[in-house]
Amino acid sequence: MLPIDQTTHERVTAALSGRAAERARAGWVAFRELEMPSERLEQWRYVHPGIDLGAFGLPDRAGRPHPAVLGGPWSASAVNVDGRTVAAQDGDGVEVAALATQSDQGPTVAIADRFEAMHEAFSSDGVLVTVPRGAAVADPVLIDLQAVTPDSASAPRIRIVAAASSQVAVVVHERSPDGMPALVVPRFEIEVDNGARVHLIVIQQWGDETAAVARHHYVAGRDATVGLAEAGLGGRFSRLHLSVDLIGDGSSADIVGAYFGDHSQTLDYRYFLRHAARGTTSEMFLKGAVAGQSRSVFSGLIRIEREGQKTSAHQTNRNLVLSDGADAHSVPNLEILADDVRCGHGSAVGPLDEEQRYYLMSRGLDRMRADRLQVKGFFEEALVRFPVLRFEPVLRAALMAKYAGVTA
Amino acid sequence: MSAALRVAGLDVRLGELHIIRNLDLEVPFGELHVMMGPNGSGKSTLCHALMGRPGYLVSGVAEVGGVDVLGLEVDRRAAAGLFEVFQYPVEIPGVTLRDLIAEMAEAGGEAIGHRAVEVAARLDTSSFWDRPVNVGLSGGEKKRSEMTQLLALAPRMAILDELDSGLDVDAVREVAEAVQHMRGPDLGVLVITHYTRVLRYLEVDRVHVMLDGRIVQSGDRSLADRLDTEGYDGLRTSLGMSHPEGDSFLTGL
Ligand SMILES: Nc1ncnc2c1ncn2[C@@H]1O[C@H](COP(=O)(O)OP(=O)(O)OP(=O)(O)O)[C@@H](O)[C@H]1O
Ligand SMILES: [Mg+2]
Repeated sequence: MLPIDQTTHERVTAALSGRAAERARAGWVAFRELEMPSERLEQWRYVHPGIDLGAFGLPDRAGRPHPAVLGGPWSASAVNVDGRTVAAQDGDGVEVAALATQSDQGPTVAIADRFEAMHEAFSSDGVLVTVPRGAAVADPVLIDLQAVTPDSASAPRIRIVAAASSQVAVVVHERSPDGMPALVVPRFEIEVDNGARVHLIVIQQWGDETAAVARHHYVAGRDATVGLAEAGLGGRFSRLHLSVDLIGDGSSADIVGAYFGDHSQTLDYRYFLRHAARGTTSEMFLKGAVAGQSRSVFSGLIRIEREGQKTSAHQTNRNLVLSDGADAHSVPNLEILADDVRCGHGSAVGPLDEEQRYYLMSRGLDRMRADRLQVKGFFEEALVRFPVLRFEPVLRAALMAKYAGVTA
Repeated sequence: MSAALRVAGLDVRLGELHIIRNLDLEVPFGELHVMMGPNGSGKSTLCHALMGRPGYLVSGVAEVGGVDVLGLEVDRRAAAGLFEVFQYPVEIPGVTLRDLIAEMAEAGGEAIGHRAVEVAARLDTSSFWDRPVNVGLSGGEKKRSEMTQLLALAPRMAILDELDSGLDVDAVREVAEAVQHMRGPDLGVLVITHYTRVLRYLEVDRVHVMLDGRIVQSGDRSLADRLDTEGYDGLRTSLGMSHPEGDSFLTGL
C-alpha cells in the first residue's frame, strides 16, 4: 500500500504525458495547499465526512473483482477495480477502453476542494467511453466500479464523449464489500456534442464502511441532452457533487434521484445546473428517505445566465424522515439573470403522511403494510423516471429491502 | 341479533370543538338508512370517528356486527366489517388501484382480489385501474374507485359519505344502482347525502336528520321529501330549535 503523499503521486502518474501529466501536477499542487473541507464552507455545510487520509493508501495493484451482478444485455462494458481498469470490451459501435491507454484524458479542470485535487493528483486510470457520430447504441454500457482492497484509496475517472447525434446510456454500478474501509474519489466527465443524448445511471451500492466523494461534470452542446439517474443506497459517507453546463442552444438536462439512508449513513448531493444558452431546459427530481441515525443533504442550484432566455427549469426534492434520529436537509436555490424564463422548485422534508396511512388502514391494511405501500409509492414517482426501464424492479427491491431493514 | 351498526351515546370532540353530541343510531342488517344534514353538522366527523381517524376524542358505544370498535386500530375496524366511502378520498401518489387491491388481497385473503376483478369489469374502472389512487381522478372515477374497494372487501356495514357529490346525473344513478345491487341480509348501509335525487334509485328503510351533531329526527323517506320543501330552517322551527346566527363554519372559527 502506498501512502497518500508526493512520492506516490509521482509514482502513479509517472506514465502520464501531455495534458494528463499537467492535470496530475496541478492536482498535486492544489492537494498540498488546500485544507480538508469542513462544515464551515457553504459547499460542505451539514456534513461531517470524517475522512482521515492517513488511514488509506493506494494499492500497488488492483484486487480481484467480484463477479458482475447486474443483468445484461450490455452493448459494451468495463470493470474498474481499486481505480484500475482491468477489463474493457467494445461493442455496438461504442468504444470502451482503459483511460490509461488513451490520449484523451480530458481537459484540465478548475479544482474546488481537496478531494477534487486528490483525484487529479492520484488518478492514473479509468474508463473512456467514446460514441461515434450518429451512433445509436441500443443496449446500455456497463461500468462495474469496485473497491475491493481494505483501507484502499482510489481515484477512477470515467469519461464519456458522445459525438454529434449519437445516443448512449451508461450504467455505473458502484460497490465494495460491507465492513471494509475504503475511500473512493471518482470523477465523471461527460461531453455531449450537438444533438447527442447521454444518460448516465449510477447505482451506488458502496459498502457500509466506504466513503465516496464523487465529482460529476457534464457539458451539453446544441440540442444535446445529458441525464443522470442515481440510486443512492450504500456508503458510510457518499457525496455526489454535480455540475452541468448547458452551453448549447436547446440543450437539456434530466436529473433523477432516489436515495435511502439508514444506520449512520450520510448521503450528500450538491447539484448545480447552469443554463448558459437559449431555449435550454432542465428537470431535477429527487426523492429520498432517511432512517436510523442517517442524514441526507440536497443542495440544488439552478443558475440561468443572461444568455439563458426561453429557459425552463424545475427542481423537486422530497424527503421522508422515518425516524427521530434521522434528518434531511433540502436547500433548493434559483439564480436567474435572464428575464424570459420559466422556473419552479419544490422541496419538502417530513414524516409519512397520516392521512394516507389512515386511508390505507381503512382498507384493511395494518399499519406496517400501509406504511410500506406509502413508501413504495413515494419512490415510485422517481423510479418511473429512470431511463433504463429494466432496472426499475431491481432498484425498487433494493430500496424496499432497506425499508424492510429499518422496520424489522 | 346484533345490528350492522349500533351507536349509543356517542360524543366526538376535536380539540375545543364538541362536534357530535350524545348520538344514537342503529342500522339493522339488511337495511339501508339515509342521513341528511346541513354543511358542518358533523356527518363526516361521525364517519371518521367510527372508522378511527386519529385526533378525535371519542366516548360512548359503537359496535359493528356486535363488535365494539372504539379503541380498535383502523384496520381492525375494517376487519370487523366497517367500510367508509370517503367524501374526500385521500390521494396516494405512486400507488395504483391495482397495487392497492393486491395489497388488500394479500392482507385479507384472495377472495378480495377475485371480487375486485369481477367488480372492476362491471363498474368500468379501466381508465384509472393503473393510475395512482385518487390522484387526478374525476369525481365519478373517485366514486367508482371507492365502490370497487368497498365491493372487494365485502363489508358488513358500509357508510357512504356524500354518495352523490361531484357526480353527474348518470353517474349518480350508476353509483346508486351499485349500492342497491350490493344490498343483502348480511349488510347494513348508511348513505349520507344532501339531495333527494339519489333516493330515487334506492329502497330506503329510514331517514335521519342531523343538526349540530345530533340526530334530531328520524322517519321514513317522506321525511326526506319534507326536508326538500321546508329546508333545515323549517325543520328547526317545527322542532322548536333555535336558529344558528350564521354559517356554522363561521361561528366555529
Ligand atoms: N380537522 C378539523 N379542524 C377544524 N374543524 C373541523 C375539523 N373537522 C371538522 N371540523 C368542524 O366540525 C364540524 C363538522 O364538520 P363535518 O365535516 O363533520 O361536517 P359535515 O356534516 O360532513 O359537512 P358537509 O356536509 O359540508 O360535508 C364543522 O364545523 C367543521 O368545520
Ligand atoms: Mg361531510
